[in-house]
Amino acid sequence: MRRQFLKAAASAALAPALARAIPAWAAGLPPDVVVVLNSGDATISLIEQSTRRVVQTFPVGKEPHHLMATPDNKLLIVANAVGNDLVFLNPISGQPEGTRAGIEDPYQIGFSPDKQWFLTNCLRLNRVDLYRYLGGRSLQLVKRMPLDALPSHMAFTADSAIAFISLQQTNEVAALHLPTQTLLWTLKVGETPAGVWLTPQDQTLLVALTGADAVMAVDWRNRQVVKRIVTGRAAHNFRSMADGRHVLVSNRVADSISILDMQALSKVGDITGLRPGPDDMELSADRRWLWTTFRFDRTVGVIDLQARKLVDVIEVGKSPHGIYFYDRAPFYDNLSPAQQAHVPRAA
Amino acid sequence: MFDALLNTASLALTNAVGDAQTWLFVTLVQPLLYQFHFMDMDDLAYDGTLWVVAGAVQVAVIYLILRPLEAVRPLEHWADRKAVRVDVIYTLINRLGLVGLVFFLVLQPAFDNLQAWLRLYGMVNLNLDELLPHMRTHALLGFVIYLVVLDFAGYWYHRWQHQIQWWWELHAVHHSQRQLSLWSDDRNHLLDDALQQAFFAALALLIGVPPGQFVALTLMGGALQSLQHANIRMRFGPWGERLLVSPRFHRLHHAIGYGHELGHQNNARLYGCNFGVLFPWWDMLFRSADFSTPPQPVGIRDQLPPPQGRGVDYGRGFWAQQGLGLRRMVRRLMPPRSLGAGSNSGDAAGV
Repeated sequence: MRRQFLKAAASAALAPALARAIPAWAAGLPPDVVVVLNSGDATISLIEQSTRRVVQTFPVGKEPHHLMATPDNKLLIVANAVGNDLVFLNPISGQPEGTRAGIEDPYQIGFSPDKQWFLTNCLRLNRVDLYRYLGGRSLQLVKRMPLDALPSHMAFTADSAIAFISLQQTNEVAALHLPTQTLLWTLKVGETPAGVWLTPQDQTLLVALTGADAVMAVDWRNRQVVKRIVTGRAAHNFRSMADGRHVLVSNRVADSISILDMQALSKVGDITGLRPGPDDMELSADRRWLWTTFRFDRTVGVIDLQARKLVDVIEVGKSPHGIYFYDRAPFYDNLSPAQQAHVPRAA
Repeated sequence: MFDALLNTASLALTNAVGDAQTWLFVTLVQPLLYQFHFMDMDDLAYDGTLWVVAGAVQVAVIYLILRPLEAVRPLEHWADRKAVRVDVIYTLINRLGLVGLVFFLVLQPAFDNLQAWLRLYGMVNLNLDELLPHMRTHALLGFVIYLVVLDFAGYWYHRWQHQIQWWWELHAVHHSQRQLSLWSDDRNHLLDDALQQAFFAALALLIGVPPGQFVALTLMGGALQSLQHANIRMRFGPWGERLLVSPRFHRLHHAIGYGHELGHQNNARLYGCNFGVLFPWWDMLFRSADFSTPPQPVGIRDQLPPPQGRGVDYGRGFWAQQGLGLRRMVRRLMPPRSLGAGSNSGDAAGV
């Protein structure tokens, strides 16, 4: 399967025009699909990257919000928040390969870089569940940690010691100590914190404020907000540009994506003129095409990062949220290349 | 050919509703959330906007279809429609989402906390689609099963509204309309509405109705109930009437001396007949169905002037109806010695 995929990728690289004209699966090759979670429709849309057409839509479970690959990259996990289950997909073709029931309210999910822990943020139930990851599809519940209120996004330090959790209702970030499974501290950061992001070498914790127009830079070791970086209204989620210096942040009310310099802790640009509610993002391996879900538009957009312009809009289902494709640029900025290979991104 | 047309029309309607939802949300709702610091409700508000838009479309469609039918084939001829006007207000309040908004702001946090607490201690939901996994892959099957389960619950809920004395005093607001029309379904006491919202939201949560399907179920149920109350001379035929609650069947539930009054058939035990919401099967199963009695005047007996009734005032305007309903309920809940003569409605549980 992997070899076939590589052949397809090579063909697409050598003859992009041909790849666009003939869908990969029509040529007998596995499709290079983009997986989009339609959280409001309880479905998945599969978009063929080369033609940018929806090639399949199928039911997956109630309120699928986020997705990420297993540490060995062999399975893609879709978390159904209201369905209380995980659905496993083939990460390349997007086809379902099984379900794991009894995972309560998995709104946001994440693996620790050392592959020991699998965390679920239970947004509706106000708690974080810590599972020991046993490989493959095996999870063992270790602890349920009540955490008021609305735990939404998460980020791990490179040494897997700490998981940072944003708490949307109480305007805080919580730091969980994974080895002891205890709450270390909480810190007020600003209105409705959502995306959390660690800069290279875990230097600074960035927190996107969906209730404001800013990203807060936090010196997490000293528990201090050190800078407020103005982005656009309702800063929400992050995605690395995979150049070691810049990170993207989507602004859900401004309908824009800001580019931040992680060294200078400043905004260096904006991508504007987007559709309503840019949310999760995914970046092609060549760092040129940025795919983003437009949460309130029932569409997915493709942005040319060279031109900083929206070049394609693809209709999907209602309230598209998580987005993933296999052949992508490294997701995290604080993890080494070796860790990246084993720890794909949380959408 | 017909299927293709239906699919095209359905897709066009879905897209139009979706576009309207996005427009209303982006133009009005989200800027307000941002301005007034409610962005933690951003996603929920987007879903809530759908209720408003879909409700507006539903009201428009119902009006465009049923109002001409009421004009062409009326069951009752009225001198004027003044008494109907207040029901239009009830309909707009209910179907454009105001009741839902109050529920969302007041009861939803309590619901969430309760669920979080129950889950933490291992008490989980009874998700039907975990028992019947085909419901996930076959949306129509899931829709039908949820519809039947909710309707069954609706039948018993409705019986309790008639049987429990203080509850009847609230529900009497609905039954006090003597000119039933396409607008009458939502004529309810606001407290009764809140109870109903809480009951069905809890049930939907318990059995795991997907939020999108809950919207569709509510819209379909609302449209059919508007038809049931419409002032239209319409029969579904002997078989159709046993398949789906018809205007004739439901009108008998509103009839003075039949639908919600002791003494008719076995009503001494049941406090009325024809309680079914969408399907009459439950009435047939639990022996509360009446398919044979011809149409009768509707209302509550003690509204009638003496000697047939006691001339009790249920209020003409919205606030009067709400205030009087609340007062009747409070009197019911007070100890018997403080009950004054004629203080409660004379029908159903009040007798």
